[in-house]
Amino acid sequence: MPKRSPAEQLDQAISALLTSGPAVSKTGLIPSVARLMPIAQALRNLPRPDFKGSLKSDLQRRISMSESAAPSRGPVKFKDFRRPNFPNIAPYFLVPGAPKFIDFLISAFEGTERIRVPRPDGAIMHAEVAIGNSVIELGDANEQYPQRSMTTHLYVPDADASYARAIRAGATGVYAPTDDHPSGDRWGEAKDPFGNTWYIATRRSQVSGAEGFLTVQPYLHLRDAHNMIPFAESALGAKATGIHKSPDGLVMHATIEIAGATFEIDEAQGKVQPGAAYLHVYVPDTDAVYAQAIRAGAIGVTPPSNAPYGDRAAAIKDPFGNIWFLATYLSSGQQ
Amino acid sequence: MAVRRPANERSSTGVDERLLVEAAQGDPAKFDALYELFFDRVYYYLSSRVRDRATAEDLTSEVFHKALANLSQFEWRGVPFAAWLFRIASNSLADQYKRASREHSVSEDPPDTTLRVEDTAGDLETSEYHSSLYRLVDRLPAVQRRVIRERFVEQRTIREIAARLKKSEGAVKQLQFRALETLRSQMGGSHA
Repeated sequence: MPKRSPAEQLDQAISALLTSGPAVSKTGLIPSVARLMPIAQALRNLPRPDFKGSLKSDLQRRISMSESAAPSRGPVKFKDFRRPNFPNIAPYFLVPGAPKFIDFLISAFEGTERIRVPRPDGAIMHAEVAIGNSVIELGDANEQYPQRSMTTHLYVPDADASYARAIRAGATGVYAPTDDHPSGDRWGEAKDPFGNTWYIATRRSQVSGAEGFLTVQPYLHLRDAHNMIPFAESALGAKATGIHKSPDGLVMHATIEIAGATFEIDEAQGKVQPGAAYLHVYVPDTDAVYAQAIRAGAIGVTPPSNAPYGDRAAAIKDPFGNIWFLATYLSSGQQ
Repeated sequence: MAVRRPANERSSTGVDERLLVEAAQGDPAKFDALYELFFDRVYYYLSSRVRDRATAEDLTSEVFHKALANLSQFEWRGVPFAAWLFRIASNSLADQYKRASREHSVSEDPPDTTLRVEDTAGDLETSEYHSSLYRLVDRLPAVQRRVIRERFVEQRTIREIAARLKKSEGAVKQLQFRALETLRSQMGGSHA
Protein backbone atom coordinates (compact mmCIF):
# COMPACT_ATOMS: atom_id res chain seq x y z
CA MET A 1 0.00 0.00 0.00
CA PRO A 2 1.55 3.36 -1.02
CA LYS A 3 2.51 5.66 1.82
CA ARG A 4 0.29 8.72 2.09
CA SER A 5 1.92 12.14 1.90
CA PRO A 6 1.55 14.53 4.88
CA ALA A 7 -0.79 16.72 2.77
CA GLU A 8 -3.03 13.73 2.06
CA GLN A 9 -2.96 12.54 5.63
CA LEU A 10 -3.84 16.04 6.84
CA ASP A 11 -6.76 16.28 4.43
CA GLN A 12 -8.13 12.94 5.58
CA ALA A 13 -7.94 14.11 9.20
CA ILE A 14 -9.64 17.40 8.29
CA SER A 15 -12.43 15.53 6.48
CA ALA A 16 -13.01 13.48 9.62
CA LEU A 17 -12.92 16.63 11.74
CA LEU A 18 -15.48 18.38 9.57
CA THR A 19 -17.87 15.45 9.46
CA SER A 20 -17.45 13.96 12.93
CA GLY A 21 -16.69 16.98 15.05
CA PRO A 22 -13.77 17.79 17.30
CA ALA A 23 -13.38 14.37 18.88
CA VAL A 24 -11.10 13.13 16.11
CA SER A 25 -8.24 10.98 17.27
CA LYS A 26 -4.72 12.09 16.45
CA THR A 27 -3.52 8.51 16.87
CA GLY A 28 -1.66 7.29 13.84
CA LEU A 29 -0.94 10.74 12.47
CA ILE A 30 2.66 11.56 11.72
CA PRO A 31 3.99 14.36 13.96
CA SER A 32 4.08 16.97 11.16
CA VAL A 33 0.33 16.45 10.65
CA ALA A 34 -0.67 15.93 14.29
CA ARG A 35 0.78 19.31 15.25
CA LEU A 36 -1.48 21.02 12.68
CA MET A 37 -4.69 19.55 14.02
CA PRO A 38 -5.25 22.17 16.77
CA ILE A 39 -5.13 24.82 14.03
CA ALA A 40 -7.56 22.82 11.87
CA GLN A 41 -9.87 22.42 14.85
CA ALA A 42 -9.81 26.17 15.54
CA LEU A 43 -10.62 26.89 11.89
CA ARG A 44 -13.92 25.03 12.18
CA ASN A 45 -15.36 28.20 13.72
CA LEU A 46 -13.93 30.56 11.10
CA PRO A 47 -16.66 33.11 10.35
CA ARG A 48 -17.98 33.82 6.87
CA PRO A 49 -16.43 37.06 5.59
CA ASP A 50 -19.76 37.93 3.93
CA PHE A 51 -21.53 37.70 7.26
CA LYS A 52 -19.03 39.96 8.99
CA GLY A 53 -19.45 42.54 6.20
CA SER A 54 -23.24 42.39 6.06
CA LEU A 55 -23.63 42.71 9.83
CA LYS A 56 -21.30 45.71 9.78
CA SER A 57 -23.41 47.34 7.03
CA ASP A 58 -26.54 46.55 8.99
CA LEU A 59 -25.15 48.24 12.11
CA GLN A 60 -23.98 51.25 10.09
CA ARG A 61 -27.41 51.58 8.49
CA ARG A 62 -28.97 51.50 11.88
CA ILE A 63 -26.62 54.14 13.22
CA SER A 64 -27.26 56.45 10.28
CA MET A 65 -31.03 55.96 10.58
CA SER A 66 -30.87 56.80 14.23
CA GLU A 67 -28.75 59.88 13.63
CA SER A 68 -30.96 61.20 10.85
CA ALA A 69 -34.05 60.70 13.00
CA ALA A 70 -32.55 62.31 16.09
CA PRO A 71 -33.41 65.98 16.51
CA SER A 72 -30.17 66.60 18.35
CA ARG A 73 -27.17 64.60 19.38
CA GLY A 74 -27.47 62.92 22.72
CA PRO A 75 -27.61 59.43 24.11
CA VAL A 76 -28.64 57.24 21.21
CA LYS A 77 -31.69 55.08 21.77
CA PHE A 78 -32.49 52.36 19.28
CA LYS A 79 -35.70 50.51 19.18
CA ASP A 80 -35.01 46.89 18.35
CA PHE A 81 -38.08 46.34 16.29
CA ARG A 82 -36.26 44.32 13.66
CA ARG A 83 -35.29 40.70 14.02
CA PRO A 84 -31.49 40.60 14.20
CA ASN A 85 -29.72 39.84 10.95
CA PHE A 86 -32.91 40.31 8.99
CA PRO A 87 -33.50 42.94 6.32
CA ASN A 88 -36.49 45.09 6.99
CA ILE A 89 -38.49 43.95 3.98
CA ALA A 90 -38.44 40.41 2.64
CA PRO A 91 -40.50 38.92 -0.17
CA TYR A 92 -42.47 35.93 1.10
CA PHE A 93 -42.92 33.26 -1.57
CA LEU A 94 -45.72 30.76 -1.19
CA VAL A 95 -45.29 28.05 -3.79
CA PRO A 96 -46.29 24.46 -4.33
CA GLY A 97 -43.24 22.27 -3.70
CA ALA A 98 -41.34 24.68 -1.47
CA PRO A 99 -38.36 22.27 -0.98
CA LYS A 100 -37.68 22.44 -4.70
CA PHE A 101 -37.95 26.21 -4.61
CA ILE A 102 -35.28 26.24 -1.88
CA ASP A 103 -33.06 24.07 -4.08
CA PHE A 104 -33.60 26.51 -6.92
CA LEU A 105 -32.66 29.55 -4.80
CA ILE A 106 -29.52 27.80 -3.59
CA SER A 107 -28.31 26.71 -7.01
CA ALA A 108 -29.51 29.74 -9.00
CA PHE A 109 -28.54 32.55 -6.65
CA GLU A 110 -26.01 30.93 -4.34
CA GLY A 111 -28.52 31.12 -1.51
CA THR A 112 -27.90 29.67 1.93
CA GLU A 113 -30.73 27.93 3.74
CA ARG A 114 -31.07 29.46 7.21
CA ILE A 115 -34.24 28.00 8.61
CA ARG A 116 -36.65 25.24 7.57
CA VAL A 117 -39.73 24.56 9.67
CA PRO A 118 -41.59 21.52 8.30
CA ARG A 119 -45.25 20.69 8.83
CA PRO A 120 -46.15 17.18 10.02
CA ASP A 121 -47.11 16.26 6.42
CA GLY A 122 -43.62 17.14 5.18
CA ALA A 123 -44.66 20.42 3.57
CA ILE A 124 -42.76 23.53 4.59
CA MET A 125 -44.46 25.89 7.00
CA HIS A 126 -41.69 28.47 6.90
CA ALA A 127 -38.18 28.67 5.53
CA GLU A 128 -35.58 31.34 4.99
CA VAL A 129 -32.84 31.49 2.40
CA ALA A 130 -30.15 34.15 2.65
CA ILE A 131 -29.04 35.66 -0.63
CA GLY A 132 -26.18 38.13 -0.43
CA ASN A 133 -26.99 40.50 2.41
CA SER A 134 -30.73 39.81 2.26
CA VAL A 135 -33.24 37.11 3.06
CA ILE A 136 -36.05 35.48 1.11
CA GLU A 137 -38.81 33.78 3.05
CA LEU A 138 -41.01 31.04 1.74
CA GLY A 139 -43.40 28.24 2.50
CA ASP A 140 -45.74 25.83 0.79
CA ALA A 141 -48.79 27.56 -0.67
CA ASN A 142 -52.05 26.73 1.10
CA GLU A 143 -55.74 27.57 0.95
CA GLN A 144 -55.42 30.71 3.03
CA TYR A 145 -52.36 31.92 1.16
CA PRO A 146 -52.32 30.56 -2.41
CA GLN A 147 -49.39 30.88 -4.77
CA ARG A 148 -48.68 34.28 -6.28
CA SER A 149 -46.22 35.01 -9.06
CA MET A 150 -43.90 37.66 -7.69
CA THR A 151 -41.19 39.87 -9.11
CA THR A 152 -37.89 40.36 -7.32
CA HIS A 153 -34.96 42.59 -8.12
CA LEU A 154 -31.56 41.10 -7.30
CA TYR A 155 -28.40 43.19 -7.11
CA VAL A 156 -25.48 40.83 -7.62
CA PRO A 157 -21.76 41.33 -8.19
CA ASP A 158 -21.88 39.78 -11.68
CA ALA A 159 -25.27 39.82 -13.40
CA ASP A 160 -24.04 37.70 -16.32
CA ALA A 161 -22.72 34.94 -14.09
CA SER A 162 -25.86 34.97 -11.92
CA TYR A 163 -28.12 34.94 -14.96
CA ALA A 164 -26.23 31.97 -16.43
CA ARG A 165 -26.43 30.13 -13.11
CA ALA A 166 -30.17 30.78 -12.88
CA ILE A 167 -30.69 29.35 -16.37
CA ARG A 168 -28.65 26.27 -15.49
CA ALA A 169 -30.78 25.87 -12.36
CA GLY A 170 -33.95 25.72 -14.45
CA ALA A 171 -34.99 29.34 -15.02
CA THR A 172 -36.11 30.52 -18.44
CA GLY A 173 -34.30 33.51 -19.85
CA VAL A 174 -36.44 36.48 -20.82
CA TYR A 175 -33.38 38.47 -21.85
CA ALA A 176 -29.71 38.17 -21.00
CA PRO A 177 -28.04 40.99 -19.06
CA THR A 178 -27.53 44.09 -21.14
CA ASP A 179 -26.06 47.54 -20.60
CA ASP A 180 -28.98 49.10 -22.49
CA HIS A 181 -31.44 49.04 -19.59
CA PRO A 182 -32.91 52.48 -18.77
CA SER A 183 -31.70 52.18 -15.17
CA GLY A 184 -28.11 52.39 -16.36
CA ASP A 185 -27.37 49.13 -14.58
CA ARG A 186 -26.40 45.89 -16.28
CA TRP A 187 -29.74 44.13 -16.19
CA GLY A 188 -31.25 40.82 -17.29
CA GLU A 189 -34.52 39.04 -16.65
CA ALA A 190 -35.39 35.40 -16.04
CA LYS A 191 -38.47 33.45 -14.96
CA ASP A 192 -38.09 30.62 -12.48
CA PRO A 193 -39.89 27.26 -12.81
CA PHE A 194 -42.48 28.47 -10.26
CA GLY A 195 -43.57 31.44 -12.39
CA ASN A 196 -41.72 34.17 -10.52
CA THR A 197 -39.80 36.89 -12.32
CA TRP A 198 -36.24 37.85 -11.36
CA TYR A 199 -34.52 41.04 -12.44
CA ILE A 200 -30.84 40.22 -12.18
CA ALA A 201 -28.76 43.36 -12.10
CA THR A 202 -25.32 44.71 -11.31
CA ARG A 203 -25.09 48.34 -10.38
CA ARG A 204 -23.24 50.53 -12.83
CA SER A 205 -24.31 53.78 -11.24
CA GLN A 206 -22.94 54.05 -7.70
CA VAL A 207 -26.03 55.80 -6.43
CA SER A 208 -26.31 55.11 -2.74
CA GLY A 209 -28.90 56.98 -0.73
CA ALA A 210 -32.07 55.63 0.69
CA GLU A 211 -32.24 52.53 -1.44
CA GLY A 212 -28.88 51.31 -0.16
CA PHE A 213 -27.35 48.20 -1.64
CA LEU A 214 -29.50 45.35 -0.44
CA THR A 215 -29.24 42.25 -2.62
CA VAL A 216 -32.96 41.55 -2.68
CA GLN A 217 -35.71 44.07 -3.33
CA PRO A 218 -39.34 43.18 -3.96
CA TYR A 219 -40.60 44.79 -7.17
CA LEU A 220 -44.32 45.57 -7.50
CA HIS A 221 -45.97 46.25 -10.84
CA LEU A 222 -49.17 48.10 -9.97
CA ARG A 223 -52.20 49.58 -11.64
CA ASP A 224 -52.30 53.30 -10.68
CA ALA A 225 -48.93 52.90 -9.04
CA HIS A 226 -48.90 56.56 -7.98
CA ASN A 227 -51.53 55.70 -5.36
CA MET A 228 -49.10 53.34 -3.63
CA ILE A 229 -46.88 56.22 -2.55
CA PRO A 230 -49.38 58.02 -0.26
CA PHE A 231 -50.66 54.66 0.99
CA ALA A 232 -47.17 53.42 1.92
CA GLU A 233 -46.30 56.74 3.51
CA SER A 234 -49.42 57.01 5.65
CA ALA A 235 -49.93 53.31 6.41
CA LEU A 236 -46.39 51.98 6.72
CA GLY A 237 -44.40 55.08 7.62
CA ALA A 238 -42.55 54.74 4.32
CA LYS A 239 -40.67 57.32 2.33
CA ALA A 240 -40.65 57.37 -1.49
CA THR A 241 -37.45 58.34 -3.24
CA GLY A 242 -36.36 58.66 -6.86
CA ILE A 243 -39.88 59.00 -8.26
CA HIS A 244 -39.77 59.06 -12.06
CA LYS A 245 -43.05 59.87 -13.78
CA SER A 246 -44.06 59.87 -17.43
CA PRO A 247 -45.43 63.11 -18.93
CA ASP A 248 -48.96 61.81 -18.29
CA GLY A 249 -48.23 61.19 -14.62
CA LEU A 250 -47.64 57.43 -14.59
CA VAL A 251 -44.98 56.21 -12.17
CA MET A 252 -42.22 54.76 -14.34
CA HIS A 253 -40.19 53.82 -11.26
CA ALA A 254 -40.03 54.68 -7.60
CA THR A 255 -38.16 53.28 -4.65
CA ILE A 256 -40.01 53.13 -1.36
CA GLU A 257 -38.09 52.87 1.87
CA ILE A 258 -39.32 51.51 5.17
CA ALA A 259 -36.77 51.80 7.98
CA GLY A 260 -33.72 51.32 5.82
CA ALA A 261 -34.95 48.62 3.44
CA THR A 262 -36.69 49.18 0.17
CA PHE A 263 -39.10 47.89 -2.42
CA GLU A 264 -39.65 49.20 -5.92
CA ILE A 265 -42.81 50.02 -7.82
CA ASP A 266 -43.82 50.97 -11.33
CA GLU A 267 -46.94 51.23 -13.44
CA ALA A 268 -48.02 47.90 -14.92
CA GLN A 269 -48.43 48.33 -18.63
CA GLY A 270 -48.04 46.38 -21.86
CA LYS A 271 -46.87 42.85 -21.27
CA VAL A 272 -46.23 43.58 -17.61
CA GLN A 273 -49.52 42.98 -15.87
CA PRO A 274 -50.26 44.02 -12.30
CA GLY A 275 -49.58 41.35 -9.72
CA ALA A 276 -49.91 41.05 -5.99
CA ALA A 277 -47.15 39.95 -3.68
CA TYR A 278 -46.59 38.70 -0.16
CA LEU A 279 -44.21 40.91 1.80
CA HIS A 280 -42.83 40.68 5.32
CA VAL A 281 -41.92 43.97 6.93
CA TYR A 282 -40.66 44.84 10.40
CA VAL A 283 -42.19 48.02 11.82
CA PRO A 284 -41.64 49.81 15.13
CA ASP A 285 -45.19 49.12 16.35
CA THR A 286 -47.30 46.45 14.64
CA ASP A 287 -50.51 47.50 16.38
CA ALA A 288 -50.13 51.14 15.39
CA VAL A 289 -49.23 50.31 11.79
CA TYR A 290 -52.11 47.84 11.52
CA ALA A 291 -54.53 50.55 12.64
CA GLN A 292 -52.92 53.16 10.38
CA ALA A 293 -53.07 50.82 7.39
CA ILE A 294 -56.77 50.16 7.85
CA ARG A 295 -57.41 53.90 8.12
CA ALA A 296 -55.43 54.32 4.88
CA GLY A 297 -57.61 51.81 3.01
CA ALA A 298 -56.12 48.39 3.78
CA ILE A 299 -58.17 45.38 4.83
CA GLY A 300 -57.26 43.57 8.03
CA VAL A 301 -56.34 39.93 7.36
CA THR A 302 -55.00 38.89 10.75
CA PRO A 303 -55.19 41.23 13.74
CA PRO A 304 -52.07 41.80 15.84
CA SER A 305 -51.06 39.05 18.24
CA ASN A 306 -47.88 37.73 19.84
CA ALA A 307 -46.48 34.99 17.60
CA PRO A 308 -44.73 32.02 19.25
CA TYR A 309 -41.48 32.85 17.41
CA GLY A 310 -41.11 36.12 19.30
CA ASP A 311 -42.75 38.71 17.06
CA ARG A 312 -45.83 40.85 17.46
CA ALA A 313 -47.39 39.92 14.12
CA ALA A 314 -50.37 40.89 11.97
CA ALA A 315 -51.37 40.85 8.29
CA ILE A 316 -53.12 43.36 6.07
CA LYS A 317 -54.13 43.48 2.43
CA ASP A 318 -53.33 46.80 0.74
CA PRO A 319 -55.63 48.40 -1.85
CA PHE A 320 -53.54 46.75 -4.61
CA GLY A 321 -54.06 43.25 -3.23
CA ASN A 322 -50.60 42.81 -1.74
CA ILE A 323 -50.53 41.00 1.58
CA TRP A 324 -48.20 42.59 4.13
CA PHE A 325 -47.08 40.49 7.06
CA LEU A 326 -46.33 43.12 9.69
CA ALA A 327 -44.01 42.30 12.55
CA THR A 328 -42.29 43.87 15.51
CA TYR A 329 -39.50 41.89 17.10
CA LEU A 330 -40.26 41.47 20.77
CA SER A 331 -37.13 39.89 22.16
CA SER A 332 -35.57 43.17 23.18
CA GLY A 333 -37.46 43.65 26.36
CA GLN A 334 -40.80 44.56 24.82
CA GLN A 335 -42.49 41.21 25.42
CA MET B 1 -5.07 25.96 31.91
CA ALA B 2 -5.94 29.49 31.05
CA VAL B 3 -4.17 32.12 33.11
CA ARG B 4 -6.39 34.92 34.27
CA ARG B 5 -5.05 38.24 33.08
CA PRO B 6 -5.79 41.32 35.18
CA ALA B 7 -8.46 43.47 33.57
CA ASN B 8 -6.62 45.94 31.46
CA GLU B 9 -7.75 48.89 29.42
CA ARG B 10 -5.30 47.89 26.71
CA SER B 11 -6.33 44.80 24.75
CA SER B 12 -3.99 42.10 23.51
CA THR B 13 -3.97 43.87 20.15
CA GLY B 14 -2.47 46.95 21.78
CA VAL B 15 -5.59 49.01 21.20
CA ASP B 16 -6.88 51.10 24.04
CA GLU B 17 -10.34 49.65 24.50
CA ARG B 18 -11.43 52.34 26.88
CA LEU B 19 -10.75 55.09 24.36
CA LEU B 20 -12.63 53.18 21.66
CA VAL B 21 -15.61 52.60 23.91
CA GLU B 22 -15.76 56.23 25.02
CA ALA B 23 -15.43 57.41 21.43
CA ALA B 24 -18.37 55.20 20.41
CA GLN B 25 -20.41 56.32 23.40
CA GLY B 26 -19.95 59.91 22.22
CA ASP B 27 -20.46 59.16 18.54
CA PRO B 28 -22.17 55.88 17.53
CA ALA B 29 -20.58 56.11 14.07
CA LYS B 30 -17.36 55.09 15.84
CA PHE B 31 -18.89 51.78 16.91
CA ASP B 32 -17.25 50.33 13.78
CA ALA B 33 -13.87 50.19 15.51
CA LEU B 34 -15.27 48.19 18.41
CA TYR B 35 -17.06 45.89 15.99
CA GLU B 36 -13.84 45.21 14.07
CA LEU B 37 -11.92 44.57 17.27
CA PHE B 38 -14.42 42.24 18.89
CA PHE B 39 -16.34 40.58 16.06
CA ASP B 40 -14.14 37.47 15.88
CA ARG B 41 -14.13 36.99 19.62
CA VAL B 42 -17.90 37.22 19.98
CA TYR B 43 -18.45 35.01 16.95
CA TYR B 44 -16.10 32.38 18.34
CA TYR B 45 -17.68 32.56 21.79
CA LEU B 46 -21.09 31.83 20.27
CA SER B 47 -20.15 29.45 17.46
CA SER B 48 -18.32 27.20 19.90
CA ARG B 49 -21.54 26.90 21.91
CA VAL B 50 -24.19 26.30 19.26
CA ARG B 51 -24.60 23.57 16.71
CA ASP B 52 -24.92 25.43 13.46
CA ARG B 53 -23.48 28.41 11.71
CA ALA B 54 -26.86 30.09 11.06
CA THR B 55 -27.65 30.20 14.79
CA ALA B 56 -24.16 31.50 15.57
CA GLU B 57 -24.66 34.27 13.03
CA ASP B 58 -28.11 35.21 14.31
CA LEU B 59 -26.84 35.38 17.87
CA THR B 60 -23.72 37.35 16.91
CA SER B 61 -25.94 39.84 15.15
CA GLU B 62 -28.19 40.05 18.19
CA VAL B 63 -25.22 40.66 20.50
CA PHE B 64 -23.83 43.55 18.46
CA HIS B 65 -27.25 45.13 18.00
CA LYS B 66 -27.83 44.95 21.75
CA ALA B 67 -24.32 46.23 22.46
CA LEU B 68 -24.89 49.18 20.17
CA ALA B 69 -28.27 49.92 21.72
CA ASN B 70 -26.95 49.72 25.28
CA LEU B 71 -23.45 51.09 24.87
CA SER B 72 -24.28 54.17 26.91
CA GLN B 73 -24.86 51.90 29.93
CA PHE B 74 -21.37 50.41 29.84
CA GLU B 75 -19.10 51.77 32.56
CA TRP B 76 -15.44 51.02 33.17
CA ARG B 77 -15.18 49.06 36.37
CA GLY B 78 -12.04 47.11 35.66
CA VAL B 79 -13.83 44.58 33.49
CA PRO B 80 -12.71 44.20 29.87
CA PHE B 81 -15.22 45.26 27.24
CA ALA B 82 -15.15 41.72 25.83
CA ALA B 83 -16.49 40.41 29.14
CA TRP B 84 -19.45 42.77 28.84
CA LEU B 85 -20.06 41.47 25.31
CA PHE B 86 -19.80 37.88 26.55
CA ARG B 87 -22.40 38.66 29.19
CA ILE B 88 -24.79 39.83 26.48
CA ALA B 89 -23.86 36.76 24.43
CA SER B 90 -24.51 34.48 27.36
CA ASN B 91 -27.99 35.98 27.86
CA SER B 92 -28.72 35.68 24.14
CA LEU B 93 -27.71 32.03 24.22
CA ALA B 94 -30.08 31.40 27.10
CA ASP B 95 -32.92 33.23 25.29
CA GLN B 96 -32.21 31.32 22.12
CA TYR B 97 -32.38 28.01 23.93
CA LYS B 98 -35.71 28.97 25.49
CA ARG B 99 -37.10 29.93 22.07
CA ALA B 100 -35.88 26.67 20.52
CA SER B 101 -37.39 24.70 23.40
CA ARG B 102 -40.77 26.36 22.86
CA GLU B 103 -40.72 25.79 19.10
CA HIS B 104 -39.32 22.27 18.95
CA SER B 105 -40.06 20.77 22.38
CA VAL B 106 -36.39 20.19 23.10
CA SER B 107 -36.16 17.56 25.78
CA GLU B 108 -32.46 17.52 26.61
CA ASP B 109 -31.02 19.59 29.43
CA PRO B 110 -30.31 23.18 28.48
CA PRO B 111 -26.67 24.19 28.19
CA ASP B 112 -25.29 26.01 31.20
CA THR B 113 -25.05 29.58 29.97
CA THR B 114 -24.33 31.07 33.36
CA LEU B 115 -21.29 33.27 33.04
CA ARG B 116 -18.87 32.98 35.94
CA VAL B 117 -15.81 35.14 36.56
CA GLU B 118 -13.41 32.22 36.17
CA ASP B 119 -15.15 31.23 32.92
CA THR B 120 -14.80 34.76 31.60
CA ALA B 121 -11.05 34.71 32.04
CA GLY B 122 -10.80 31.46 30.11
CA ASP B 123 -13.22 32.67 27.47
CA LEU B 124 -11.24 35.87 26.99
CA GLU B 125 -8.04 33.96 26.42
CA THR B 126 -9.53 31.32 24.14
CA SER B 127 -11.46 33.83 22.09
CA GLU B 128 -8.36 36.00 21.70
CA TYR B 129 -6.46 33.00 20.41
CA HIS B 130 -9.13 32.32 17.79
CA SER B 131 -9.44 35.98 16.91
CA SER B 132 -5.67 36.15 16.26
CA LEU B 133 -5.86 33.03 14.12
CA TYR B 134 -8.75 34.41 12.04
CA ARG B 135 -6.83 37.64 11.45
CA LEU B 136 -3.88 35.59 10.20
CA VAL B 137 -6.17 33.78 7.75
CA ASP B 138 -6.90 37.18 6.21
CA ARG B 139 -3.18 37.66 5.63
CA LEU B 140 -2.54 34.31 3.92
CA PRO B 141 -1.66 34.38 0.21
CA ALA B 142 -4.92 34.75 -1.74
CA VAL B 143 -5.07 31.21 -3.08
CA GLN B 144 -4.32 29.64 0.32
CA ARG B 145 -6.91 31.89 1.96
CA ARG B 146 -9.49 30.80 -0.59
CA VAL B 147 -8.72 27.12 0.00
CA ILE B 148 -9.05 27.56 3.77
CA ARG B 149 -12.35 29.45 3.49
CA GLU B 150 -13.85 27.03 0.99
CA ARG B 151 -12.74 24.03 3.05
CA PHE B 152 -13.64 25.22 6.55
CA VAL B 153 -16.34 27.84 6.06
CA GLU B 154 -18.18 26.45 3.05
CA GLN B 155 -17.11 22.90 3.88
CA ARG B 156 -16.43 22.00 0.26
CA THR B 157 -14.54 18.83 -0.59
CA ILE B 158 -11.04 18.96 -2.02
CA ARG B 159 -12.51 17.76 -5.31
CA GLU B 160 -14.98 20.66 -5.44
CA ILE B 161 -12.31 23.20 -4.55
CA ALA B 162 -9.96 21.76 -7.15
CA ALA B 163 -12.67 22.12 -9.82
CA ARG B 164 -13.41 25.72 -8.79
CA LEU B 165 -9.72 26.68 -8.75
CA LYS B 166 -8.94 24.64 -11.88
CA LYS B 167 -6.13 22.87 -10.04
CA SER B 168 -5.40 19.24 -9.31
CA GLU B 169 -6.65 17.74 -6.05
CA GLY B 170 -3.05 17.11 -5.03
CA ALA B 171 -2.21 20.79 -5.53
CA VAL B 172 -5.17 21.87 -3.39
CA LYS B 173 -4.14 19.48 -0.60
CA GLN B 174 -0.65 20.97 -0.72
CA LEU B 175 -2.08 24.50 -0.52
CA GLN B 176 -4.16 23.46 2.48
CA PHE B 177 -1.15 21.90 4.15
CA ARG B 178 1.03 24.97 3.55
CA ALA B 179 -1.68 27.30 4.80
CA LEU B 180 -1.97 25.40 8.08
CA GLU B 181 1.81 25.26 8.43
CA THR B 182 1.96 29.04 7.94
CA LEU B 183 -0.80 29.66 10.45
CA ARG B 184 0.82 27.38 13.00
CA SER B 185 4.20 29.03 12.69
CA GLN B 186 2.67 32.52 12.89
CA MET B 187 0.61 31.63 15.93
CA GLY B 188 3.91 30.67 17.56
CA GLY B 189 3.56 29.24 21.00
CA SER B 190 -0.02 30.42 21.51
CA HIS B 191 -2.38 27.84 22.85
CA ALA B 192 -6.08 28.03 23.23
